[in-house]
Amino acid sequence: MKKSFKIAMLVMLASMVALAGCGAKGSDEKAASGGTTEDGKLKPYKITLVYPGTAQKDLAVVQEEMSKYLTEKINATIELKPIEWGSWDDKTNLMKISNEPFDLMFTASWYYYPRDAAKGQYLELDDLMNQYGKDIPGVLGEDFIKGSRIGGKLFALPTKKEFGQGFGLLLSKKLVDKYKFDVSGIKSIEEVEKMLGTIKANEPGVTPIISRKFTNIWEAANYDNIIANLAVARGSKEIKAIDKLEDPKFIEFYKRMNTWSKNGWFDKDILTSDTDQAMNMIKAGKGFATASSLKPGKDKEMSLTSGVEVVQMETAVPFTTTGDAQGAMLGISRTSEDPARAMMFLNLLYTDKKLLNMLDWGVEGKHYVKKSEDVIDFPEGVTADTQTYPSPGGWMFGNQFNSYLWANEDPQKWEQFQKFNDSSERSVILGFAFNQEPVKAEMAAIENVNKEFEASLGTGAVDAEKTIAKWKEKRNAAGFDKVKAEVDKQLQEWAAAQK
Amino acid sequence: MQRKNILNTSMIHLFFWIFTIVSLVPFALIFMVSITDEDSIAANGYSLFPNKISFAAYSFLFNDFSEIARAYGVTIIATVVGTTVSLLITALFAYPLSRQGLPFRRTLSFYIFFTMLFSGGMVPWYMTYVNMFDMKNTLISMIVPNLLLSAFNVLLMRSFFANSIPESVIESATIDGASEIKIFFKIVVPLSLPIMATIGLFNTLSYWNDWYNCMLFIDKAELYNIQYLMTKTLTNIQYLIMKSSSSAQAGDLLAKMPRETVRMALAIVGIAPLLFAYPFFQKYYISGITSGAVKG
Repeated sequence: MKKSFKIAMLVMLASMVALAGCGAKGSDEKAASGGTTEDGKLKPYKITLVYPGTAQKDLAVVQEEMSKYLTEKINATIELKPIEWGSWDDKTNLMKISNEPFDLMFTASWYYYPRDAAKGQYLELDDLMNQYGKDIPGVLGEDFIKGSRIGGKLFALPTKKEFGQGFGLLLSKKLVDKYKFDVSGIKSIEEVEKMLGTIKANEPGVTPIISRKFTNIWEAANYDNIIANLAVARGSKEIKAIDKLEDPKFIEFYKRMNTWSKNGWFDKDILTSDTDQAMNMIKAGKGFATASSLKPGKDKEMSLTSGVEVVQMETAVPFTTTGDAQGAMLGISRTSEDPARAMMFLNLLYTDKKLLNMLDWGVEGKHYVKKSEDVIDFPEGVTADTQTYPSPGGWMFGNQFNSYLWANEDPQKWEQFQKFNDSSERSVILGFAFNQEPVKAEMAAIENVNKEFEASLGTGAVDAEKTIAKWKEKRNAAGFDKVKAEVDKQLQEWAAAQK
Repeated sequence: MQRKNILNTSMIHLFFWIFTIVSLVPFALIFMVSITDEDSIAANGYSLFPNKISFAAYSFLFNDFSEIARAYGVTIIATVVGTTVSLLITALFAYPLSRQGLPFRRTLSFYIFFTMLFSGGMVPWYMTYVNMFDMKNTLISMIVPNLLLSAFNVLLMRSFFANSIPESVIESATIDGASEIKIFFKIVVPLSLPIMATIGLFNTLSYWNDWYNCMLFIDKAELYNIQYLMTKTLTNIQYLIMKSSSSAQAGDLLAKMPRETVRMALAIVGIAPLLFAYPFFQKYYISGITSGAVKG
């Protein structure tokens, strides 16, 4: 055995060395000059753009068209690389670790931006932007860029879209008309209760409110959540994290949810139901309301996709947190072979209407036809079901305000967005993003505890005070104090850096 | 005595009947949901007895059948090539290990066994295939990694050869002047059909059901296999549900995803061929599993 074991080890070692020999590729020095040839012209270069989504049938056609246009502009071609939402985590992690070369990648605060930036996956963009993306700051404005910084450094550029989140409910238009509910302005929770009560009393067989999203919406409207139920209360002037589980307002709200549940206002599948199901129930005439984050024209969008008319009603003033500022961004990868060119491309996404709309809607005449300067519609004989280039989502790229509007959309959409952005209340810690790395182990334990309580509390089916007390106890045992200390420390550091 | 036997038998029969029904009901439900009218699901939930039948989901799928057909092609090629090659390699590895006279026999056995205990980990594994062998976006990437050679199957086959092929048969063939290759193909393989069929079935199943390699190595939609086509739809939906609380956009995307009935129809389309293939394997399968126990 001994001898044979040695031999086996030798065989293994030998094979490892042999294999390792052919794997290492020398990483060559990046061309910092922007890939120019001797006489100052740009060399041809292929830009790779990685974003989540499903590859469309005509992806190659659009890619071809964009490449033609880009060759004229910055002598570059483009490779669009959509990656399925469900495979994104596995795939992109391996891409990053195995040093796969690509230029631009979609990222967001809810999509690992802080983590990847901390790991050095994305390049710092300030210098590049000053050199090759001169138009971007003018388009985005100060707040957007400030909100995207991590530790004062910019690792990705946000899409110019809605800057903040509105909060409220989507209501079945049919029932709103029937009972002549007034949905203008901002409604208090008591006013919402009155409506739900009316529906419950007069519409047997209709569930007043579906899914537990209302609790998410309420929390997001009242706190700037950091992590593990630590949050800065909205409207707070000082930069200090409070524990939501000890906040009387929070406990009060969940007591109210418990009452709602007892009144029979929620649906029976509340534990698992989501917006998708809610829209289906409203469509089937079995539901009245579901909570949703709002933006101008959200109700029209939802009516289009679900095939039932809904109207939106606000329950709080829009609020801008770091999460909203970093809601959709593009970062330049450290593995990019020509970061300068990637930045030039980004600059075009913010300023060049033609290029952006190719990416958003496809090729003119084939995937859409122009009705007027900025309004488009499907070509003859094409419908939403038969289109060959369903939009990857204009909210992911560049300046969404440059995106064409569909004939059935509000022609004032972008003006309304601008108004919405201006009216949205900025959080006192806008731009702060918590880095989880130092408390990763504790966070994993706390997440498990949260899973156990969050859902049941959100359904309103349990006694709020008792559940929250139990939750607190379990959470504290999972190492909450350490997380809190880390949050306080990072907040102080961030506050000091702001001055 | 006799009565007791009848009672026993009927109890056993009853148990297996129940077991069969419990196994079949979920499948039947999937099928029924796939032919239910979408609106009636929204109104009444899932049911084994839909109150409105509609084949809209299937006509939606077959409307653009090219994608599904191509995915089928990919799956079938990977399964056929993969199973054949894998069976050959496994047998060629296992047979020498079962022979007494092989030098370094224990070392080689240990070498294959070692891979069952330790693996290099995800990242080196991925980098080997992508950076060194450049297998990204190739058909081979769905055949070679993970599936081609299973250490467990090699050991299984080795013990079958060692226990079921009498040494004397091989000896007599040698005396008659047969070469090692001839002995293997003309005598050993025909005598080992049960284990070949069993491991062949294992391989077929694992190739047919494999979506993981496709997910990791394939970026181009034309190389997706049928299982990944299905899995991606489901995982996309799950993922977006998970993210929809932190991003308004994720919630909007959910509304554009294929509907319940289409998902279920996809599941049926992906699984049907295997259901039909299974009975043909059955007879080998039974003898392969039991042959170790009966010494004739």
